[in-house]
Amino acid sequence: MTLDIGAIRGDFPILERRLPNGKQLVYFDNAATSQKPQCVIDAMSEYYSRYNSNAHRANHTLADEATTALEDARESISSYFGTSPDQMIYTSGATEAINLVSYGWARENLSEGDVVVITEMEHHADIVPWQQLSKEKGVEVRYVPIDTESFTLDMQAFEVAAEGASLVCVVHTSNVLGIRNPVERIVEISHSNGARVLLDCAQGAPHERINFDESRVDFVAVSAHKMGGPTGIGCLLVKRDAMDQMGPFMTGGSMIKTVSTMGSTFQEGHAMFETGTPRIAEAIGWGSAVEWLDQFDMGEVHSHINKIASWTAHRISEIDGITVYGDPSRDDSSGAVSFLHDTIQSQDLALLLDEGGFAVRTGHHCAQPLMDALGVPSTNRASFWIYNTMSEAEAFVEHLRNVVDRFSGME
Amino acid sequence: MDESRSWPEHLDPIVEEFSSCFDSMERYELLFQYAKRHPSPLLPEEWNESNQVHGCQSRAHVLCSLDRDGNFFLRGGADAQIVQGLMAITAMAVNGMSPSEVADLTPEFADSMGIRSSLTPSRANGFLNMFKRVKEEAVLLSG
Repeated sequence: MTLDIGAIRGDFPILERRLPNGKQLVYFDNAATSQKPQCVIDAMSEYYSRYNSNAHRANHTLADEATTALEDARESISSYFGTSPDQMIYTSGATEAINLVSYGWARENLSEGDVVVITEMEHHADIVPWQQLSKEKGVEVRYVPIDTESFTLDMQAFEVAAEGASLVCVVHTSNVLGIRNPVERIVEISHSNGARVLLDCAQGAPHERINFDESRVDFVAVSAHKMGGPTGIGCLLVKRDAMDQMGPFMTGGSMIKTVSTMGSTFQEGHAMFETGTPRIAEAIGWGSAVEWLDQFDMGEVHSHINKIASWTAHRISEIDGITVYGDPSRDDSSGAVSFLHDTIQSQDLALLLDEGGFAVRTGHHCAQPLMDALGVPSTNRASFWIYNTMSEAEAFVEHLRNVVDRFSGME
Repeated sequence: MDESRSWPEHLDPIVEEFSSCFDSMERYELLFQYAKRHPSPLLPEEWNESNQVHGCQSRAHVLCSLDRDGNFFLRGGADAQIVQGLMAITAMAVNGMSPSEVADLTPEFADSMGIRSSLTPSRANGFLNMFKRVKEEAVLLSG
Protein backbone atom coordinates (compact mmCIF):
# COMPACT_ATOMS: atom_id res chain seq x y z
CA MET A 1 0.00 0.00 0.00
CA THR A 2 1.37 3.40 -0.95
CA LEU A 3 0.98 6.15 1.58
CA ASP A 4 -1.82 8.56 0.70
CA ILE A 5 -0.27 11.70 2.13
CA GLY A 6 -3.29 13.81 1.19
CA ALA A 7 -5.59 11.57 3.19
CA ILE A 8 -3.10 11.45 6.07
CA ARG A 9 -2.95 15.26 6.16
CA GLY A 10 -6.74 15.30 6.31
CA ASP A 11 -6.49 13.62 9.71
CA PHE A 12 -4.51 16.58 11.12
CA PRO A 13 -6.68 19.70 11.35
CA ILE A 14 -3.80 21.86 12.56
CA LEU A 15 -2.01 21.50 9.23
CA GLU A 16 -4.69 23.77 7.70
CA ARG A 17 -3.64 26.54 10.05
CA ARG A 18 -2.50 29.93 8.83
CA LEU A 19 -0.19 31.98 11.02
CA PRO A 20 -1.07 35.54 12.16
CA ASN A 21 0.88 36.94 9.19
CA GLY A 22 -1.32 34.95 6.81
CA LYS A 23 1.33 32.40 5.91
CA GLN A 24 0.37 28.73 5.66
CA LEU A 25 1.88 26.72 8.52
CA VAL A 26 4.59 24.30 7.46
CA TYR A 27 5.40 22.24 10.51
CA PHE A 28 8.98 21.01 10.53
CA ASP A 29 9.46 20.66 14.30
CA ASN A 30 8.34 17.07 14.59
CA ALA A 31 11.37 15.89 16.55
CA ALA A 32 10.22 18.25 19.31
CA THR A 33 6.63 17.06 19.15
CA SER A 34 4.41 15.73 16.40
CA GLN A 35 0.95 16.98 15.57
CA LYS A 36 -2.04 14.89 16.65
CA PRO A 37 -4.55 13.16 14.38
CA GLN A 38 -8.22 13.98 14.91
CA CYS A 39 -8.90 10.52 16.34
CA VAL A 40 -6.55 11.26 19.26
CA ILE A 41 -8.24 14.59 19.93
CA ASP A 42 -11.66 12.90 19.74
CA ALA A 43 -10.68 10.03 22.04
CA MET A 44 -9.46 12.40 24.74
CA SER A 45 -12.46 14.67 24.31
CA GLU A 46 -14.84 11.73 24.54
CA TYR A 47 -13.22 10.58 27.78
CA TYR A 48 -13.67 14.00 29.37
CA SER A 49 -17.17 14.55 28.00
CA ARG A 50 -18.61 11.04 28.58
CA TYR A 51 -16.80 8.96 31.17
CA ASN A 52 -14.25 11.07 33.05
CA SER A 53 -13.57 9.28 36.32
CA ASN A 54 -10.65 8.01 38.31
CA ALA A 55 -9.38 4.57 37.36
CA HIS A 56 -8.76 1.51 39.57
CA ARG A 57 -10.65 3.05 42.49
CA ALA A 58 -14.42 2.70 42.42
CA ASN A 59 -17.24 0.41 41.37
CA HIS A 60 -19.48 2.88 39.59
CA THR A 61 -20.06 2.76 35.84
CA LEU A 62 -17.85 5.68 34.89
CA ALA A 63 -14.94 4.35 36.96
CA ASP A 64 -15.32 0.99 35.29
CA GLU A 65 -15.34 2.58 31.84
CA ALA A 66 -12.29 4.73 32.62
CA THR A 67 -10.38 1.74 34.04
CA THR A 68 -11.28 -0.40 31.04
CA ALA A 69 -10.19 2.32 28.60
CA LEU A 70 -6.91 2.87 30.46
CA GLU A 71 -6.08 -0.83 30.39
CA ASP A 72 -7.30 -1.26 26.80
CA ALA A 73 -4.86 1.50 25.86
CA ARG A 74 -2.06 -0.36 27.65
CA GLU A 75 -3.00 -3.45 25.64
CA SER A 76 -2.92 -1.50 22.35
CA ILE A 77 0.34 0.29 23.12
CA SER A 78 2.22 -2.76 24.41
CA SER A 79 0.96 -4.79 21.45
CA TYR A 80 2.16 -2.06 19.07
CA PHE A 81 5.62 -2.39 20.64
CA GLY A 82 5.55 -6.17 20.31
CA THR A 83 5.23 -7.03 23.96
CA SER A 84 2.69 -7.77 26.66
CA PRO A 85 0.96 -5.28 29.01
CA ASP A 86 2.74 -6.62 32.08
CA GLN A 87 6.07 -5.40 30.68
CA MET A 88 4.88 -1.81 30.21
CA ILE A 89 4.94 0.93 32.84
CA TYR A 90 3.15 4.19 32.08
CA THR A 91 5.36 7.23 32.70
CA SER A 92 5.11 10.93 31.90
CA GLY A 93 7.43 10.40 28.93
CA ALA A 94 10.87 9.12 28.01
CA THR A 95 12.59 11.36 30.56
CA GLU A 96 10.66 9.88 33.45
CA ALA A 97 11.14 6.41 32.00
CA ILE A 98 14.93 6.84 32.02
CA ASN A 99 14.80 8.26 35.54
CA LEU A 100 12.73 5.23 36.54
CA VAL A 101 15.57 2.96 35.39
CA SER A 102 18.05 5.11 37.28
CA TYR A 103 16.05 5.24 40.51
CA GLY A 104 14.13 1.98 40.30
CA TRP A 105 16.75 -0.37 38.87
CA ALA A 106 20.23 1.16 39.04
CA ARG A 107 20.04 2.30 42.65
CA GLU A 108 18.86 -1.19 43.63
CA ASN A 109 21.52 -3.06 41.66
CA LEU A 110 24.61 -0.90 41.16
CA SER A 111 27.21 0.19 43.65
CA GLU A 112 30.50 2.05 43.79
CA GLY A 113 32.83 1.12 40.95
CA ASP A 114 30.11 -0.32 38.70
CA VAL A 115 30.10 1.10 35.19
CA VAL A 116 27.34 2.81 33.21
CA VAL A 117 28.08 3.48 29.53
CA ILE A 118 26.40 6.36 27.71
CA THR A 119 27.30 8.27 24.54
CA GLU A 120 28.06 11.83 23.51
CA MET A 121 24.97 11.64 21.35
CA GLU A 122 22.52 11.38 24.25
CA HIS A 123 19.76 13.80 25.10
CA HIS A 124 20.30 15.42 28.52
CA ALA A 125 17.54 13.13 29.81
CA ASP A 126 19.89 10.19 29.27
CA ILE A 127 22.95 11.92 30.70
CA VAL A 128 21.97 13.73 33.86
CA PRO A 129 20.29 10.77 35.63
CA TRP A 130 23.57 8.87 35.32
CA GLN A 131 25.66 11.83 36.46
CA GLN A 132 23.40 12.09 39.52
CA LEU A 133 23.73 8.35 40.12
CA SER A 134 27.49 8.69 39.88
CA LYS A 135 27.47 11.43 42.53
CA GLU A 136 25.31 9.41 44.89
CA LYS A 137 26.68 5.91 44.45
CA GLY A 138 30.19 6.34 43.04
CA VAL A 139 29.22 4.61 39.81
CA GLU A 140 31.60 5.26 36.91
CA VAL A 141 30.02 6.87 33.83
CA ARG A 142 31.83 6.24 30.54
CA TYR A 143 31.08 8.39 27.50
CA VAL A 144 31.39 6.93 24.02
CA PRO A 145 32.44 9.59 21.49
CA ILE A 146 31.08 10.14 18.01
CA ASP A 147 33.14 10.25 14.85
CA THR A 148 32.66 13.88 13.78
CA GLU A 149 33.41 13.00 10.14
CA SER A 150 30.67 10.41 9.74
CA PHE A 151 28.52 11.70 12.63
CA THR A 152 28.17 8.09 13.81
CA LEU A 153 28.99 6.45 17.09
CA ASP A 154 32.59 5.32 17.42
CA MET A 155 31.87 1.60 17.73
CA GLN A 156 35.47 0.70 18.47
CA ALA A 157 35.38 3.04 21.44
CA PHE A 158 32.01 1.56 22.39
CA GLU A 159 33.42 -1.97 22.49
CA VAL A 160 36.19 -0.80 24.82
CA ALA A 161 33.80 1.16 27.03
CA ALA A 162 31.36 -1.74 27.33
CA GLU A 163 33.98 -4.02 28.89
CA GLY A 164 32.96 -4.58 32.49
CA ALA A 165 29.87 -2.42 32.20
CA SER A 166 26.70 -3.15 34.15
CA LEU A 167 24.38 -0.91 32.16
CA VAL A 168 24.55 0.59 28.66
CA CYS A 169 22.25 3.52 27.88
CA VAL A 170 22.07 4.55 24.24
CA VAL A 171 19.82 6.72 22.14
CA HIS A 172 18.15 4.73 19.35
CA THR A 173 18.07 7.73 17.00
CA SER A 174 19.77 11.07 17.61
CA ASN A 175 17.38 13.99 18.00
CA VAL A 176 20.03 16.29 16.51
CA LEU A 177 21.66 14.28 13.75
CA GLY A 178 18.84 11.93 12.83
CA ILE A 179 21.40 9.11 12.90
CA ARG A 180 20.07 5.70 13.90
CA ASN A 181 22.60 3.90 16.03
CA PRO A 182 23.47 0.23 15.32
CA VAL A 183 21.30 -0.87 18.22
CA GLU A 184 21.34 -4.57 17.34
CA ARG A 185 25.15 -4.60 17.52
CA ILE A 186 25.09 -2.52 20.70
CA VAL A 187 22.74 -5.01 22.37
CA GLU A 188 24.93 -7.92 21.27
CA ILE A 189 28.14 -6.36 22.61
CA SER A 190 26.50 -5.19 25.82
CA HIS A 191 24.90 -8.53 26.63
CA SER A 192 28.14 -10.35 25.89
CA ASN A 193 29.68 -8.18 28.60
CA GLY A 194 26.83 -8.96 30.99
CA ALA A 195 25.41 -5.44 30.83
CA ARG A 196 21.75 -4.58 30.65
CA VAL A 197 20.69 -2.19 27.88
CA LEU A 198 18.44 0.86 28.03
CA LEU A 199 17.38 2.30 24.67
CA ASP A 200 16.04 5.84 24.49
CA CYS A 201 13.49 5.44 21.70
CA ALA A 202 11.91 8.90 21.96
CA GLN A 203 13.04 9.66 18.39
CA GLY A 204 13.14 6.10 17.11
CA ALA A 205 9.55 5.08 17.84
CA PRO A 206 7.95 7.66 15.49
CA HIS A 207 10.07 6.37 12.60
CA GLU A 208 10.41 2.65 13.10
CA ARG A 209 8.29 -0.16 14.50
CA ILE A 210 10.07 -1.07 17.73
CA ASN A 211 9.55 -4.72 18.62
CA PHE A 212 10.52 -4.92 22.26
CA ASP A 213 10.41 -8.69 22.71
CA GLU A 214 12.41 -9.37 19.56
CA SER A 215 14.95 -6.64 20.35
CA ARG A 216 16.22 -8.39 23.51
CA VAL A 217 16.70 -4.90 24.98
CA ASP A 218 16.14 -4.75 28.74
CA PHE A 219 14.60 -1.27 28.96
CA VAL A 220 13.01 0.92 26.29
CA ALA A 221 11.93 4.52 26.99
CA VAL A 222 9.24 6.07 24.78
CA SER A 223 7.36 9.39 24.62
CA ALA A 224 3.86 9.43 23.15
CA HIS A 225 3.87 13.00 21.94
CA LYS A 226 6.48 12.49 19.23
CA MET A 227 4.41 9.72 17.59
CA GLY A 228 1.00 11.34 17.32
CA GLY A 229 0.01 10.91 20.94
CA PRO A 230 -0.61 13.52 23.61
CA THR A 231 2.02 15.24 25.73
CA GLY A 232 2.56 14.11 29.31
CA ILE A 233 2.62 10.37 28.75
CA GLY A 234 5.07 7.71 27.68
CA CYS A 235 6.24 4.40 28.97
CA LEU A 236 9.11 2.25 30.07
CA LEU A 237 9.12 -1.21 28.55
CA VAL A 238 10.91 -3.60 30.90
CA LYS A 239 11.92 -7.23 30.60
CA ARG A 240 10.28 -9.31 33.33
CA ASP A 241 13.54 -10.36 34.97
CA ALA A 242 14.72 -6.75 35.05
CA MET A 243 11.41 -5.61 36.55
CA ASP A 244 11.84 -8.23 39.26
CA GLN A 245 15.08 -6.45 40.24
CA MET A 246 13.41 -3.03 40.53
CA GLY A 247 12.28 -1.21 43.64
CA PRO A 248 9.73 1.60 43.86
CA PHE A 249 10.75 4.99 42.45
CA MET A 250 7.90 7.19 43.69
CA THR A 251 5.32 6.06 46.22
CA GLY A 252 1.63 6.66 46.89
CA GLY A 253 -1.64 6.37 44.99
CA SER A 254 -2.12 3.48 42.60
CA MET A 255 1.05 1.62 43.61
CA ILE A 256 -0.13 1.04 47.19
CA LYS A 257 -1.49 -2.31 48.35
CA THR A 258 -1.80 -1.60 52.09
CA VAL A 259 -0.72 1.17 54.46
CA SER A 260 -0.75 1.03 58.25
CA THR A 261 1.12 2.79 60.98
CA MET A 262 3.45 -0.20 60.93
CA GLY A 263 4.42 0.27 57.31
CA SER A 264 3.24 -0.22 53.74
CA THR A 265 3.03 -2.90 51.09
CA PHE A 266 3.10 -2.28 47.37
CA GLN A 267 1.47 -3.64 44.26
CA GLU A 268 3.52 -5.99 42.15
CA GLY A 269 4.71 -5.77 38.56
CA HIS A 270 4.12 -2.61 36.56
CA ALA A 271 1.56 -1.37 39.10
CA MET A 272 4.36 -0.83 41.63
CA PHE A 273 5.73 1.97 39.49
CA GLU A 274 2.55 3.84 38.57
CA THR A 275 1.89 6.30 41.36
CA GLY A 276 -0.93 8.76 41.95
CA THR A 277 -3.91 9.10 39.66
CA PRO A 278 -3.09 7.65 36.24
CA ARG A 279 -2.84 9.89 33.17
CA ILE A 280 -6.10 8.45 31.91
CA ALA A 281 -7.00 10.80 29.08
CA GLU A 282 -3.43 10.81 27.86
CA ALA A 283 -3.21 7.02 27.87
CA ILE A 284 -6.48 6.78 25.95
CA GLY A 285 -5.19 9.35 23.46
CA TRP A 286 -1.94 7.46 23.02
CA GLY A 287 -3.82 4.21 22.53
CA SER A 288 -5.76 5.89 19.76
CA ALA A 289 -2.52 7.20 18.23
CA VAL A 290 -0.90 3.77 18.00
CA GLU A 291 -4.10 2.31 16.53
CA TRP A 292 -3.97 5.10 13.93
CA LEU A 293 -0.26 4.45 13.21
CA ASP A 294 -0.86 0.70 13.03
CA GLN A 295 -2.64 1.11 9.69
CA PHE A 296 0.66 2.10 8.04
CA ASP A 297 3.73 0.15 7.06
CA MET A 298 6.38 1.96 9.10
CA GLY A 299 8.97 0.98 6.51
CA GLU A 300 7.04 3.04 3.97
CA VAL A 301 6.64 5.86 6.47
CA HIS A 302 10.38 5.84 7.06
CA SER A 303 11.13 5.86 3.32
CA HIS A 304 8.77 8.78 2.79
CA ILE A 305 10.35 10.83 5.59
CA ASN A 306 13.88 9.83 4.68
CA LYS A 307 13.34 10.91 1.07
CA ILE A 308 12.18 14.39 2.13
CA ALA A 309 14.96 14.78 4.70
CA SER A 310 17.66 13.58 2.35
CA TRP A 311 16.49 15.87 -0.46
CA THR A 312 16.19 18.85 1.87
CA ALA A 313 19.65 18.30 3.36
CA HIS A 314 21.18 18.03 -0.09
CA ARG A 315 19.47 21.17 -1.40
CA ILE A 316 20.14 23.40 1.60
CA SER A 317 23.79 22.30 1.68
CA GLU A 318 24.05 23.96 -1.75
CA ILE A 319 23.05 27.33 -0.28
CA ASP A 320 26.02 29.58 0.40
CA GLY A 321 27.08 29.49 4.04
CA ILE A 322 24.89 26.54 5.10
CA THR A 323 26.50 23.56 6.81
CA VAL A 324 24.44 20.41 7.42
CA TYR A 325 25.31 18.28 10.46
CA GLY A 326 24.59 14.59 10.15
CA ASP A 327 24.06 12.53 7.06
CA PRO A 328 20.37 12.46 6.13
CA SER A 329 21.25 10.66 2.88
CA ARG A 330 21.86 7.45 4.84
CA ASP A 331 19.00 4.98 4.45
CA ASP A 332 18.71 4.57 8.18
CA SER A 333 18.61 8.29 9.03
CA SER A 334 15.40 9.62 10.45
CA GLY A 335 13.82 12.90 9.47
CA ALA A 336 16.02 15.38 11.34
CA VAL A 337 18.17 17.83 9.37
CA SER A 338 20.39 20.02 11.55
CA PHE A 339 22.08 22.95 9.92
CA LEU A 340 23.71 26.31 10.55
CA HIS A 341 24.44 29.36 8.46
CA ASP A 342 27.92 30.78 8.90
CA THR A 343 26.80 34.39 9.45
CA ILE A 344 23.08 34.40 10.22
CA GLN A 345 22.77 33.43 13.89
CA SER A 346 20.49 30.43 14.50
CA GLN A 347 17.89 32.34 16.56
CA ASP A 348 17.70 35.03 13.89
CA LEU A 349 17.36 32.40 11.20
CA ALA A 350 14.54 30.66 13.09
CA LEU A 351 12.57 33.90 13.31
CA LEU A 352 13.13 34.62 9.64
CA LEU A 353 11.99 31.11 8.72
CA ASP A 354 8.94 31.51 10.94
CA GLU A 355 8.02 34.62 8.98
CA GLY A 356 7.63 32.32 5.98
CA GLY A 357 5.40 29.98 8.00
CA PHE A 358 8.12 27.38 8.63
CA ALA A 359 8.31 26.03 12.18
CA VAL A 360 11.80 24.71 12.93
CA ARG A 361 13.63 24.16 16.19
CA THR A 362 16.66 26.16 17.27
CA GLY A 363 19.10 25.67 20.11
CA HIS A 364 21.26 22.95 21.60
CA HIS A 365 18.34 20.48 21.48
CA CYS A 366 19.11 19.34 25.05
CA ALA A 367 22.25 17.67 23.70
CA GLN A 368 25.05 19.98 24.82
CA PRO A 369 27.81 17.31 24.86
CA LEU A 370 26.97 16.58 21.22
CA MET A 371 27.08 20.30 20.42
CA ASP A 372 30.51 20.41 22.09
CA ALA A 373 31.66 17.49 19.95
CA LEU A 374 30.38 19.22 16.81
CA GLY A 375 32.03 22.47 17.93
CA VAL A 376 28.86 24.55 17.68
CA PRO A 377 26.65 26.12 20.36
CA SER A 378 23.38 25.36 18.61
CA THR A 379 21.82 24.37 15.32
CA ASN A 380 18.64 24.98 13.40
CA ARG A 381 16.76 21.74 12.90
CA ALA A 382 14.06 20.87 10.41
CA SER A 383 12.43 17.55 11.30
CA PHE A 384 9.82 15.74 9.27
CA TRP A 385 7.07 13.24 9.86
CA ILE A 386 4.45 11.25 8.08
CA TYR A 387 2.30 14.19 6.93
CA ASN A 388 5.06 16.34 5.48
CA THR A 389 5.36 16.64 1.72
CA MET A 390 8.07 17.25 -0.84
CA SER A 391 6.30 20.44 -1.92
CA GLU A 392 6.61 21.74 1.65
CA ALA A 393 10.31 20.92 1.53
CA GLU A 394 10.64 22.72 -1.82
CA ALA A 395 8.96 25.82 -0.39
CA PHE A 396 11.23 25.63 2.66
CA VAL A 397 14.40 25.49 0.57
CA GLU A 398 13.19 28.40 -1.55
CA HIS A 399 12.38 30.53 1.51
CA LEU A 400 15.68 29.66 3.18
CA ARG A 401 17.53 30.62 0.01
CA ASN A 402 15.70 33.96 -0.09
CA VAL A 403 16.46 34.62 3.58
CA VAL A 404 20.14 33.86 3.08
CA ASP A 405 20.29 36.04 -0.04
CA ARG A 406 18.67 38.91 1.84
CA PHE A 407 20.29 38.70 5.26
CA SER A 408 23.73 37.13 4.90
CA GLY A 409 26.43 39.75 4.96
CA MET A 410 24.24 42.11 7.00
CA GLU A 411 25.82 41.16 10.31
CA MET B 1 8.24 62.82 27.33
CA ASP B 2 5.02 63.79 25.56
CA GLU B 3 2.04 62.42 27.48
CA SER B 4 0.55 60.98 24.27
CA ARG B 5 3.35 58.44 23.98
CA SER B 6 5.41 56.44 26.39
CA TRP B 7 8.79 56.78 24.72
CA PRO B 8 11.20 59.70 24.45
CA GLU B 9 10.61 62.11 21.55
CA HIS B 10 13.95 61.40 19.92
CA LEU B 11 12.73 57.85 19.25
CA ASP B 12 9.85 59.10 17.04
CA PRO B 13 11.76 58.89 13.73
CA ILE B 14 12.82 55.33 14.48
CA VAL B 15 9.30 54.28 15.44
CA GLU B 16 8.02 55.91 12.24
CA GLU B 17 10.71 54.22 10.15
CA PHE B 18 9.72 50.78 11.43
CA SER B 19 5.97 51.29 11.36
CA SER B 20 6.14 52.33 7.71
CA CYS B 21 7.88 49.11 6.66
CA PHE B 22 6.08 47.03 4.06
CA ASP B 23 6.19 43.80 6.07
CA SER B 24 7.91 42.10 8.97
CA MET B 25 10.79 40.85 6.80
CA GLU B 26 11.56 44.49 6.00
CA ARG B 27 11.40 45.31 9.71
CA TYR B 28 13.84 42.50 10.48
CA GLU B 29 16.11 43.83 7.74
CA LEU B 30 16.00 47.22 9.42
CA LEU B 31 16.80 45.64 12.79
CA PHE B 32 19.87 44.02 11.26
CA GLN B 33 20.93 47.49 10.09
CA TYR B 34 20.36 49.00 13.54
CA ALA B 35 22.41 46.19 15.07
CA LYS B 36 25.41 47.65 13.25
CA ARG B 37 24.60 51.16 14.49
CA HIS B 38 24.61 50.37 18.22
CA PRO B 39 25.70 53.63 19.88
CA SER B 40 27.30 51.91 22.87
CA PRO B 41 28.10 48.28 22.13
CA LEU B 42 29.33 45.85 24.75
CA LEU B 43 32.00 43.82 23.04
CA PRO B 44 32.03 40.00 23.34
CA GLU B 45 35.27 40.10 25.34
CA GLU B 46 33.38 42.10 28.01
CA TRP B 47 30.55 39.55 28.26
CA ASN B 48 30.44 37.71 31.57
CA GLU B 49 28.04 35.94 33.89
CA SER B 50 27.17 39.08 35.85
CA ASN B 51 26.07 41.09 32.79
CA GLN B 52 24.31 38.22 31.03
CA VAL B 53 20.57 38.50 30.48
CA HIS B 54 19.10 35.12 31.39
CA GLY B 55 15.97 33.58 30.01
CA CYS B 56 16.73 33.77 26.33
CA GLN B 57 18.23 31.23 23.97
CA SER B 58 20.53 33.71 22.28
CA ARG B 59 23.32 35.28 24.33
CA ALA B 60 22.60 38.82 25.47
CA HIS B 61 24.54 41.05 27.84
CA VAL B 62 23.86 44.51 29.25
CA LEU B 63 25.94 46.87 31.37
CA CYS B 64 24.16 49.87 32.89
CA SER B 65 25.87 52.84 34.51
CA LEU B 66 25.57 56.60 35.00
CA ASP B 67 27.56 59.07 32.92
CA ARG B 68 29.42 62.03 34.44
CA ASP B 69 26.18 64.05 34.42
CA GLY B 70 24.30 61.33 36.31
CA ASN B 71 22.34 60.23 33.25
CA PHE B 72 21.63 56.61 32.37
CA PHE B 73 24.08 54.87 30.03
CA LEU B 74 23.33 51.46 28.55
CA ARG B 75 25.84 49.27 26.79
CA GLY B 76 24.73 46.00 25.30
CA GLY B 77 25.66 43.10 23.08
CA ALA B 78 24.01 39.98 21.70
CA ASP B 79 24.99 37.21 19.36
CA ALA B 80 21.65 37.42 17.53
CA GLN B 81 21.35 40.42 15.23
CA ILE B 82 17.64 40.92 15.91
CA VAL B 83 18.26 41.19 19.66
CA GLN B 84 21.33 43.36 19.02
CA GLY B 85 19.22 45.68 16.86
CA LEU B 86 16.59 45.97 19.58
CA MET B 87 19.35 46.66 22.10
CA ALA B 88 20.70 49.40 19.87
CA ILE B 89 17.29 51.07 19.69
CA THR B 90 16.80 50.66 23.43
CA ALA B 91 20.19 52.29 24.04
CA MET B 92 19.24 55.14 21.71
CA ALA B 93 16.06 55.53 23.75
CA VAL B 94 17.47 55.44 27.26
CA ASN B 95 20.97 56.89 27.02
CA GLY B 96 20.88 60.40 28.45
CA MET B 97 17.63 59.90 30.34
CA SER B 98 17.50 60.04 34.11
CA PRO B 99 17.50 56.62 35.79
CA SER B 100 14.00 57.23 37.15
CA GLU B 101 12.70 57.99 33.64
CA VAL B 102 14.24 54.74 32.41
CA ALA B 103 12.64 52.88 35.32
CA ASP B 104 9.23 54.16 34.17
CA LEU B 105 9.74 53.32 30.48
CA THR B 106 7.48 50.70 28.89
CA PRO B 107 8.24 48.52 25.85
CA GLU B 108 5.33 50.17 24.04
CA PHE B 109 7.70 51.64 21.45
CA ALA B 110 8.38 48.10 20.23
CA ASP B 111 4.64 47.57 19.75
CA SER B 112 4.37 50.80 17.79
CA MET B 113 7.33 49.77 15.66
CA GLY B 114 5.33 46.66 14.74
CA ILE B 115 7.89 44.21 16.01
CA ARG B 116 6.81 43.16 19.47
CA SER B 117 4.23 40.69 18.17
CA SER B 118 7.16 38.72 16.80
CA LEU B 119 9.00 38.95 20.08
CA THR B 120 6.63 37.64 22.74
CA PRO B 121 8.13 36.37 26.00
CA SER B 122 7.57 32.74 25.03
CA ARG B 123 9.84 33.21 22.03
CA ALA B 124 12.62 33.48 24.58
CA ASN B 125 14.63 35.66 22.28
CA GLY B 126 15.72 38.15 24.82
CA PHE B 127 14.16 41.53 24.11
CA LEU B 128 11.64 41.59 26.96
CA ASN B 129 14.11 39.98 29.36
CA MET B 130 16.69 42.53 28.35
CA PHE B 131 14.21 45.39 28.76
CA LYS B 132 13.20 44.14 32.21
CA ARG B 133 16.85 43.89 33.25
CA VAL B 134 17.54 47.48 32.08
CA LYS B 135 14.59 48.78 34.11
CA GLU B 136 15.74 46.85 37.20
CA GLU B 137 19.22 48.36 36.85
CA ALA B 138 17.66 51.80 36.42
CA VAL B 139 15.76 51.40 39.69
CA LEU B 140 19.00 50.49 41.45
CA LEU B 141 20.86 53.43 39.89
CA SER B 142 18.12 55.90 40.79
CA GLY B 143 18.25 54.94 44.45
